[in-house]
Amino acid sequence: MTSGPAHRHWPVPLWHLAVPVLALMLWSLAGSALAGWLFLPVWVLATQMIAAGSLEAARLRRRAWLGQYLRDDSPWHRRLRGGAVMVVRHQLLAALLALVLLVKLRLLPPVTWLLLLAGAVGLVLVRGWLRRRLAPHVVEARLMAITRRLLVVPVAGPLALALVGMVLLSPQPWLIGLDWEAALMRHLPSGEGGSLLGFFERLAAAADITRAWAMQNAEAQLGFGAPQILLGWLLMLLTQGAVAWAFVRLLVGADALRGEEVS
Amino acid sequence: MSESALSRRALFRLERAARPGGWRGWALSLLVVALLLVLLEGGYRWLESRSQAPLFRVIVAGESLTLDDETHADFSRDLTALTAEIQAQLAARMTPWMDARLDSAFEPLAAAVPGYLDWYFSAPGSYMRLGVAMVGDLDEWLDEQLHERLIAPSGIEDALAELLADYPERLAREQRALADGLAATLHERYALRQVASATSEEVEMTAMLDLDAVLLSSLNDGLDRSRWSAAALGGAGVGLMASRTLVGRLGAGAAVQASRMALRGLVVRLGAGTARSLASGGVAAMATSPTGPGALVVGTLTGAATLAAIAGGEYALLKSQESRHRPAMEEQMHEALAETRASLGLALEASAADAARAIKDRLGHAGAPDETAGGTPEAFRILGRQGEKSAGFLPPSNTVGLQSAHVNRNP
Repeated sequence: MTSGPAHRHWPVPLWHLAVPVLALMLWSLAGSALAGWLFLPVWVLATQMIAAGSLEAARLRRRAWLGQYLRDDSPWHRRLRGGAVMVVRHQLLAALLALVLLVKLRLLPPVTWLLLLAGAVGLVLVRGWLRRRLAPHVVEARLMAITRRLLVVPVAGPLALALVGMVLLSPQPWLIGLDWEAALMRHLPSGEGGSLLGFFERLAAAADITRAWAMQNAEAQLGFGAPQILLGWLLMLLTQGAVAWAFVRLLVGADALRGEEVS
Repeated sequence: MSESALSRRALFRLERAARPGGWRGWALSLLVVALLLVLLEGGYRWLESRSQAPLFRVIVAGESLTLDDETHADFSRDLTALTAEIQAQLAARMTPWMDARLDSAFEPLAAAVPGYLDWYFSAPGSYMRLGVAMVGDLDEWLDEQLHERLIAPSGIEDALAELLADYPERLAREQRALADGLAATLHERYALRQVASATSEEVEMTAMLDLDAVLLSSLNDGLDRSRWSAAALGGAGVGLMASRTLVGRLGAGAAVQASRMALRGLVVRLGAGTARSLASGGVAAMATSPTGPGALVVGTLTGAATLAAIAGGEYALLKSQESRHRPAMEEQMHEALAETRASLGLALEASAADAARAIKDRLGHAGAPDETAGGTPEAFRILGRQGEKSAGFLPPSNTVGLQSAHVNRNP
């Protein structure tokens, strides 16, 4: 990686973050027919970005591990640094994570995008701060990769908490006293058309309704105190964290992809 | 050997392709995603073919119809559309009948107004008013006169009581006709669109909607509501109440009040005048002849002459009052009648609308089984829901007593 001053001072133009975020936002807010058409390209985009980030992190881990045990001149460095198996595994996992992210994004209310955009801005700020802090200690060639690795938790954590807070404050359908089937029948949007995306959306919505139904009825019947109830809801809602985590992974991956291209 | 070299080369190529960035990474992502998509799509289609479409059973117009998913959705849409029209239709059926009845009830009253005013401004009427103004409570007496001379002879009390007794029955009849029409329309549209071959065990698994039962219960509900509304209007004693309102309204016009005020002013002046002249008559008599019956006669005569003179003057005043006040008074009495009629009509229409709304509510929830009637809030909030619960439990109502009675009936 060149160490020119222009490169030292990120943020260079941030279009490589802005474009995927905008694309995701437009897609998630689009009508279901359009979204169904664009499902494949958006899925590929998200998969590629998440995979790029996680591959970089995995290679870094592998290299560190090998460096512990192998001589510097051993050819096993090259053979074991991570090949097809690793790539395919990460691509597969990335594809699944991207699927979860995309389907969840379709279901979340549009207000969520304020939080996600704030998360993206926060990521850029934290990245700059972290990089400055790490620069005196970390090898130059690995600075960006290490920064990206350390970036995920401090950005995804608060974002997940913010999403959970939003769910805590927003209204849910009233499900107390209903059978589970009745709750699903009443509140699950009926399937229009047989598109795969629609099916996934209904599946995720059914999971949401089931979760809300279980907690609302447990709360009504077991008569816990407020702290236990809040704890229960928090545990249930931590699945919201998956969205934040995947979203940040995607942004970090976009960054990694850009870094690879530049190098 | 060559095979292993080949496979190694292929592995190497895959490895190179696997590096993130560049078109190869994208192509690999596309490949993986497309593969997943095909797999999932296949699984989805398989699942779809395995799960049979649900069947719905609807009992309408005394016949059980078995509908498939799409037809049932159409049925629900039609039901919603038809119920949305119920209020307007019910109003269209009830309003002409109600208007005619109200007209026939109020017509004799309006016709009696000139007669009442004739009496009011006639000599006996004027003198009686004058007399009452001097010795009694003019307002109360005038209200009594209104009731006796205007309202009672017109028979409006009986007519209104009869109207309010007939109204719920008429409403129930029209509702039943509407509900029957609704069921017949739906039956006609969907009887031919049934699922042809449905085994009995399939149907047993399906959701069922007994539209007839829902309609019947909503009709009873609506009937009860209209009865409650009639009770709130006054029930059996409504004629009396209406006449009391009428008396109040009729007496409240500005011209009527002005004539009363003029009369009262007259009485005040008159009272002072009479007292003075009577006293002076007495004083004169005492002065001329301190003793004997002649003194009393003189005194009385003086007093009577004074009274007559004053009364003659005041009669002329009353006549001028009549010419000044009568047209305005007549107009205002007619206005008051029209107002009373309109507010009665509005109250009755509101009760019809209430009944129609009851049907609509019932039918609106008919699609969803296990609905507890009213009372369930729409939204659940994890945080900060104390304020919402109390507001959400009672639907907005125009008459609180009516609403609570209704809620208590459906625990």
